[in-house]
Amino acid sequence: MKMDFDKWALAAAAVVLAVLPFIASGYILYIVNLLMIYIVLALGLHIVIGETGQFALSHAAFYGIGIYVAGIINNAWHPNLVISVLVAGVVAAGLGYLLGALAIRMRDIYLALSTFAFGEAMQWVFLNWNEVTNGSNGYQMSPAWFFGFELTSDLRAYPFTVLGAALMLWVTVWLSRSQLGAAFRAVRESDVAAQAMGVNANVIKRVAFMCSAAYAGMAGGLYTTFASFIHPESLGFWTTILILIMIVVGGIGSVRGAVIGAVIFGLISELLRQMLSFQEIIYGLILIGFMMFAPRGLFSGRRRTRKAAAATGAGSSGGTQA
Amino acid sequence: MSVADIWLFLQQGVLSGLVTGSVYALLAVAVVIVFKTTDVPNFAQGEIFMVGGYVALFMILVLDWHYALVIPVTLIAVAAICALFQRVVMERVIASKGVGVQLVIATLGLAYVLKGAVRQTGLGDAPRSLPALIAPDTVIIGDAVLTRLDLMILSTALVVMLGLYVLFNHTRTGKAMRAVGMNPKASQIVGVSLVRIRMLVWALAGLISAVSAILITPKILITPDIGHIAILAFAAAIVGGITSIPGAIVGGFIIGVAENLVGLFVSTNAIVVAPFLAILIVLVVRPQGILGGKAQVKKV
Repeated sequence: MKMDFDKWALAAAAVVLAVLPFIASGYILYIVNLLMIYIVLALGLHIVIGETGQFALSHAAFYGIGIYVAGIINNAWHPNLVISVLVAGVVAAGLGYLLGALAIRMRDIYLALSTFAFGEAMQWVFLNWNEVTNGSNGYQMSPAWFFGFELTSDLRAYPFTVLGAALMLWVTVWLSRSQLGAAFRAVRESDVAAQAMGVNANVIKRVAFMCSAAYAGMAGGLYTTFASFIHPESLGFWTTILILIMIVVGGIGSVRGAVIGAVIFGLISELLRQMLSFQEIIYGLILIGFMMFAPRGLFSGRRRTRKAAAATGAGSSGGTQA
Repeated sequence: MSVADIWLFLQQGVLSGLVTGSVYALLAVAVVIVFKTTDVPNFAQGEIFMVGGYVALFMILVLDWHYALVIPVTLIAVAAICALFQRVVMERVIASKGVGVQLVIATLGLAYVLKGAVRQTGLGDAPRSLPALIAPDTVIIGDAVLTRLDLMILSTALVVMLGLYVLFNHTRTGKAMRAVGMNPKASQIVGVSLVRIRMLVWALAGLISAVSAILITPKILITPDIGHIAILAFAAAIVGGITSIPGAIVGGFIIGVAENLVGLFVSTNAIVVAPFLAILIVLVVRPQGILGGKAQVKKV
């Protein structure tokens, strides 16, 4: 029992991801690229909902902002993709900070609904700002560049999406172990108590919004490394809900829950893309089923049993593996 | 635009707005009563409304039933679906210590199941309308032109609102619903069954949604995605203050009128975004809504 679940899972994932480009077809690599984007998106939503407890429903808007910013930069200047991804993240972070500054005046349902309204309004902007986004015809993006190397296929984009997702995963874990992460969780548990402990809850909430938006923006930037087309239709409430489902079914507040939720639901969403009605029914049933029988998701339950087991003195034996 | 044109547009916009607004108001009331008694913003509200429309469509197009039979069966069916969902699913989520997030996600689950189920029937492949309940003659009020259907929608909605007023103020069940909304624990102590009341509230919300669906579907085309209309209901509920039933009704009319005026004076393209701007403005300026009373401070 030297290596715990996380390390085994990471090692296995690293091996699979390293071998995959040599054996898999373009379509599979495309799906993996997409899953990496979903992981970054889920981690971003995890920061604001899981860590900080702010129920924001505007994630798809920042994702969209990231895609359009990176796409526009790519079309205009063909910069290094590191630059376009970073700029996408920074622009989204700035807007996220502004939305956060407005939204933290509210809590609970008001916060959820105002961020929801922001998301819908942004989708409307994507759909109607024809000069910039080409509106409802969708936006065509030229391939991203990396030091004179043009990313024209899923295979070529693959290392960048995987490294990007790995980097963001590392940042998330680092963040949650840092003082800022502790402040996030303090605000989640009670912002009054956090204030009393000298944590400026309002600043922390704004920072959480900003971080979450930065993740979504960078996910958008990474999306442009392998995709050449974006339609506003795919940047609506449904996308936000898909990401929310990932972190809720994975287990709210758990990083590994966010990652595994992103993989599971990313796959389901891609596999059932052709069968909309089945996709909807299956999603709905999964959601209802999880909320009825495992409302804390796949992973928080594990942590709770471990804690409960430790409390009864059984934690030191091998009986903790659920 | 001359003064006469503006005056004409104003009349037309306000009257048409009151008609559509009355439907938003009903849906907003459904949102508000569920939110007040169960603390759940019901994200399946739009889909419940949509199912109401399709249940009626199914009976008219496929089974070829008469309206006199279709209306009561639709109302009962939709109310039963809602009551069942609350009784079977939501109570179970509450029992397994689900809090706000889990309850909301369960309603999202319902929304997707309903949408997928309607798509499965194939009725949703093309946009459809119910046949008109009454002859679509035009009625001229001032300079504005409405149809008799419009007047029927408005008057039925007003009757339903009156009925709700009577229910909440003069019947034991209605008073129990209000009591649960104010303080569930205290109402349980005085003998109110929370499970029963929550189920009845969901049934009532379903009933109101079905009424709205039957009222508006002869006027508009519905698709399985019509559930988006719930956004307007939420906007109305927020504008009015999410816990106030009169607020929801006022909010519904405000949203309806605003939508029509924006459509007439600005552009039809801007209609879609108007409610979101309304939500954002209200939430930033007066977060508790127009009739929401004091701002709430919940947990400490």
